[in-house]
Amino acid sequence: MPIAQNPLSVEVTLEREEVALLKVAGYLDVDTATEFQHHLANQLHHGRRHFLLDLSEVPFMDSSGMNIILRVYQEARELPGSVHIISPTAAVRRVLDLTGVSITVPVSESVEEALSRIDAQPEGPQVPGA
Amino acid sequence: MSTSEESREPAAGAHREASVSRPGPSAPPRSCAVDGPAADLRGMTPMSPVGRLAATVDRLSREVRAAQAEAEGRALIELAKGILVARLGCGPAQAARQLAELAEQSQVTPLEFAVDVINQAARDRVSEVTDAFLAATAAVRNADTADGPDGPDGGEAGAGSAAVRLRAAESGALAAGDTQSVADALLEQALRPLGAVAVAIWAAGYDGSLTLAGSAGFSTAEASRWRYVPPDVTTVARCGLTERAGQWITSLAETGLPSVGRHQYPDGGRVAVPAGTGGRIHGVLEIAWPAPLAPQPPQVVRQVEALAELCAHTLESYVPSQAAGQEPRVVPDAVELMDLADGLYDPALVLVPHLDADGHLADFRIQHVNKSFLDPAGRPRAVVGGALLLEAYPMAAGESELFQNVERVYATGEPFRARRLNLTALVDQVPLSAVADISVSRHGNAVLLIWRIEDETARLASLLQHAQRLGRIGGFEENLLTGEITWNGQLFDLYGRPQSSTPVPLERLAAHAHPDDAVAIGRFLRTLLHHRRSASAAFRLQRPDGVTRHVRVVAEPVLDTDDRLLVVRGAYQDISAQHWTEVALAATRDQLAHTEQQAIERARLTLQLQHAIMPPAQTPLKVPDLQVAVRYRPAETEQLVGGDWYDAVMLPNGLVLLCVGDVAGHGIEAATSMVVLRNALRGLAVTGAGPGQLLSWLNIVVHHLTGGVTATAVCGLYDPARRTLRWARAGHLPPVLVRDAQAGPLPLVKGMLLGAVAEASYEEAEVQLAAEDTLLMYTDGLIERRDRSVEESLAQLLSTARPAPSTLDQHLDRLLTYSRSDTDDDTCLVGIRVG
Repeated sequence: MPIAQNPLSVEVTLEREEVALLKVAGYLDVDTATEFQHHLANQLHHGRRHFLLDLSEVPFMDSSGMNIILRVYQEARELPGSVHIISPTAAVRRVLDLTGVSITVPVSESVEEALSRIDAQPEGPQVPGA
Repeated sequence: MSTSEESREPAAGAHREASVSRPGPSAPPRSCAVDGPAADLRGMTPMSPVGRLAATVDRLSREVRAAQAEAEGRALIELAKGILVARLGCGPAQAARQLAELAEQSQVTPLEFAVDVINQAARDRVSEVTDAFLAATAAVRNADTADGPDGPDGGEAGAGSAAVRLRAAESGALAAGDTQSVADALLEQALRPLGAVAVAIWAAGYDGSLTLAGSAGFSTAEASRWRYVPPDVTTVARCGLTERAGQWITSLAETGLPSVGRHQYPDGGRVAVPAGTGGRIHGVLEIAWPAPLAPQPPQVVRQVEALAELCAHTLESYVPSQAAGQEPRVVPDAVELMDLADGLYDPALVLVPHLDADGHLADFRIQHVNKSFLDPAGRPRAVVGGALLLEAYPMAAGESELFQNVERVYATGEPFRARRLNLTALVDQVPLSAVADISVSRHGNAVLLIWRIEDETARLASLLQHAQRLGRIGGFEENLLTGEITWNGQLFDLYGRPQSSTPVPLERLAAHAHPDDAVAIGRFLRTLLHHRRSASAAFRLQRPDGVTRHVRVVAEPVLDTDDRLLVVRGAYQDISAQHWTEVALAATRDQLAHTEQQAIERARLTLQLQHAIMPPAQTPLKVPDLQVAVRYRPAETEQLVGGDWYDAVMLPNGLVLLCVGDVAGHGIEAATSMVVLRNALRGLAVTGAGPGQLLSWLNIVVHHLTGGVTATAVCGLYDPARRTLRWARAGHLPPVLVRDAQAGPLPLVKGMLLGAVAEASYEEAEVQLAAEDTLLMYTDGLIERRDRSVEESLAQLLSTARPAPSTLDQHLDRLLTYSRSDTDDDTCLVGIRVG
């Protein structure tokens, strides 16, 4: 699909100081992957360590999109940090399972579920009062 | 449409008025029918010029009333504007302003003023003819001129000047409708002053004959002898007719031409002037002088021509007396002629004269084209019908003189026939000539033009054959339901096969082509059979005699009413000569576009690398009791050619390694990684390890490649002895098992894609195969679609492929042909069939 017809929309909010939530809408493919990567690189640059990727409005993802996720996964692991995929559509979920990415990158049903997983991680950020 | 409006313009209208308002016993019925007021005139004093004048005033005032009632006289004002445009040479807007201003100055309404303008114009038209009388008789104004044929009537008007009386006489002569009276009037009133002694008015018959319609100054006996001149007899009058121009003869004796009154005035001068209106010659006015005639001044020539036109008005309605024993003049309706034309098997056109604003013949309108009509330029009939002849066939005025011939036939009524006339038609400004037999004849006021293009059908068929032979084109048709294939003789020649041999079906085309062209042919078949669109491909045809020819195949699908693909038809063309020209051209272009060339070279290098490692058509692997086939189809866009790979190799332990993989990304980097992975896997497999272990090791290899490469792969080890396949996958689609009519993917065992993590383990699975089972491994280029899941796409693909083909190779070809993938990606396909 041409970009003009299906522009990728990425909405970034900060759940916590080091936790970025990226809500993605549109096809994640060879045409849009670079844009998605720029958003992720920007957040990395600003010191985020945990990335919540809400893919509930991504109807299709190809290997290009998958590679962006794997790349941020590898980067975050070095920090150390983490990547979480939140409520993927069936098609995307299928690709995640097919490629085995879901073995490595945890899939959550909600932002809260993902946040609790971050909290459960030993090297997770120290939340005051938690 | 605009041109037909012209005939209703004021000048022409007035002109018709002058010729038509002629009540009398011999006036044709048409006149009365056309012009209502003429009928009313009978009730008044028909012969009286006052009555005529009154009728004109009456007609105009009635026209004014009717126009007022209808559209506030808009029509009349438009008419007047038209006259002003012509007179003043200005634009319509200016004419409108002028009309308004003049009306205001004259203190009349614009409508009244418009009527004045029209009246003025109408009078001028009449004066045009009478001016000739006035000029001619100016010198003899004292002579008694009131004794016209309608003397008493002329006398009625006689209170005024000689001009008025002359005009009255002219009107009377016209009103008489009797050519004999006209002849008398002409001689007495106009010609004697010029020194002429006799006059003859000839009516031209449709066959080219001449009938003496009226004469004065010749003896009755002589006139009776010359009452009829058959066609083709050359007389003075006839010269005037055929030349269609005035013949001014100094002395009749010098010409040796026969004519009426030759014995009476043997050395006298003669003049024969065609009498025509609107491009049609109705007859000839012949004038005799007693002595040789010196060249006449132009004004005299003009006067005589004006007189001839006067005669024409009379001759137009001339009907030879039945007593003369001649056939009645037939005036078939144009409708009748159209019926006649439709009954002809040759192309025929019915033409009617098209007059310009001055009443002169400008062109012919193609009133009708018959059913057999075929335009030499290939235009539809509707386009030609209704057009003007010179508009539709501008070249008719050229060398063929077709237009001139039509004009002559229309003028003289003499039919024209010619064999093998060269006709030229302009097709997109390219003159195309055709040889045709032509027949032109006049019927009433219309002309029938018939042409027979020389053996059109036969000529086209032979032309096509020659074109096919010269173009080295072979045609074919293939019925996909019955499998019936038809080739023409040229195609057998092109293939270098005897005419008696079996034609090659399209699906088997690749087997007759250079192996490197298999991809192009696959794409061609996919477009044609799957997308059902016209397709073409260029490939190297390898003929049985060892000759290789560059061939282009073009084909189109034919669908039945249920939208099923029924027939494929098309043509092959040998483009070998053209191919090498293109190669040479391409080489030149390459040098010019160096930068672009580099990019292309890169893509080509990638493709060459792919081909070097995985030939598109690989030598089959020989394994007992097992068919193995592989396919690689690069992305259509060369830049997208990338990292798909496959392998099928016999290992030292007797197992067969089957593998398909996909390195993420495109271009030379992906292809390089692909080479590394493929070679690594081959090497690792020799250790005898299972597929899960092999993928674990391969993961380490990928992980240590620079640039964060990831890849997917599915890897299986087939044991021919036990007919089992042990397999594992790394982020790749599981293999598909086709058993009987069923097809489905093997379970999705766990396996991370290669290179994402440093260490990964891969689940293994085993499947027991049976005879006739087919197992397929493939990359997602085969099925990837955005609008449905891979399973759906796969199910679709497997079910749409027609009943299982006899060989595995054909099966894989069909999968590629009918794949519904909508992404332009590499595709790899490995298949095994047991038994």
